[in-house]
Amino acid sequence: MSSTPDSPRDREPAGDAHRRPLDPPADDLDEPGTIAFTARRALDGQRLNRFALSLRSAPNRSAFLADESAYLKLFAVPAEQRDLVARRDWTGLLLAGGHLQAVLKLSATLGGTLLDIGAHNVGCDRDALASACPRMVDGLPAGMP
Amino acid sequence: MATVIGGIGISHSPSMGVEYDKAKGTRENFDERWRRWYDGCARVRELLAALDPTHLVVIYNDHLNYFDLDNYPTLAIGVGDGFRQADEGFGLRDLPDLPGDATWGIHLTEHLVENDFDMTVSQDLAIDHGIFSWLPYVADPQWPVPLTPIAVNMIRQPLPTQRRLRNLGTALRAGIEAMPTEDRVLVIATGGMSHQISGRRFGLANERLDRRFLETLPTRLDELVALPREEYVRYGGTEAAELSLWFTMRAALSDEARSLYSFHTVPQITGCGALVMAEPDVAAHLDPSMEEQSS
Repeated sequence: MSSTPDSPRDREPAGDAHRRPLDPPADDLDEPGTIAFTARRALDGQRLNRFALSLRSAPNRSAFLADESAYLKLFAVPAEQRDLVARRDWTGLLLAGGHLQAVLKLSATLGGTLLDIGAHNVGCDRDALASACPRMVDGLPAGMP
Repeated sequence: MATVIGGIGISHSPSMGVEYDKAKGTRENFDERWRRWYDGCARVRELLAALDPTHLVVIYNDHLNYFDLDNYPTLAIGVGDGFRQADEGFGLRDLPDLPGDATWGIHLTEHLVENDFDMTVSQDLAIDHGIFSWLPYVADPQWPVPLTPIAVNMIRQPLPTQRRLRNLGTALRAGIEAMPTEDRVLVIATGGMSHQISGRRFGLANERLDRRFLETLPTRLDELVALPREEYVRYGGTEAAELSLWFTMRAALSDEARSLYSFHTVPQITGCGALVMAEPDVAAHLDPSMEEQSS
């Protein structure tokens, strides 16, 4: 299996002008392809992640949904990160130090799923991403037995 | 003396649990993609029953569902007579808690620390889809066998090295064999296979990488451990780093242990595979219908 039969790349013409985010992922490890959760990001996102992980409890989810802004202030989330939450800027949250697994608790609380975050990261809509997955790649590490 | 009878490597994912619940665990209710996973796991279920373990050691990774970033353990062991389910933000699934055995937890902790693995001890461990997603595919609730969970940091850099995770398996084997009971212990590792769930590379999967890993892990552990983790991540996505948990399982078995079964499919986002291995004397006593298969 090299691609999902109905994926957009089977329907659209080739060429850079038509390069689409659902092309097979490249094998480089740089941003924005891969957003590594570094030790520095863990520090930058400390309060944001505390907030997001608090949403593992149902009463906290209710409290957040009742008043998002007040709830965020309880965790002293910095203003620019609160703004990312308000805008549901999933990619921005990851870049600002939110861990994917923490940000996913926020998405879950809002009735979303992993695919909402993924679609924002990839730059397409959720259904397009869902139908393109798995985005099959090929290749093996040099020296793999 | 307790013995290691074999091992299982198996993938986990949140959607694996969601789809199980949606289908109420009934084959006909799964969509085609997940029925392939369900069917592939049927053999794992048969082999698990035939191997008849009395204790499980499960090496898994938590997904910020129990542990917090303010205190993140590299290696943690659950010690207690039961382990509850963690709320991942979606609410709890309708599944019973996991049975534990504090005597086993205490014993393995003492043995591992004595052998230079400084385990974080979790007395109130709640477990996420790292175990709960695949378990209903291979065993019925109420869960028949108590387990000792070992959680490995796959969340924040630096991750424990692949070499360290292999050595953990070696230490676990010695620890299991030092237990003065007649337990038959199965070592299970769960993680991977190819997947990436953030960034523009979201949703990638690499079937060739996963299948090669399943083929070579039984006999070529050292070569797989020697490949840089970055290369697994490059070709298999960030979360393919979790394949290194499988090294712990393989290293907990003897060199002579052999593969009984493996299979692979990519239902949705995550490359999903399973590998069942057994020690030669255990494999020899299995029913002939249990001989090696792969698909």
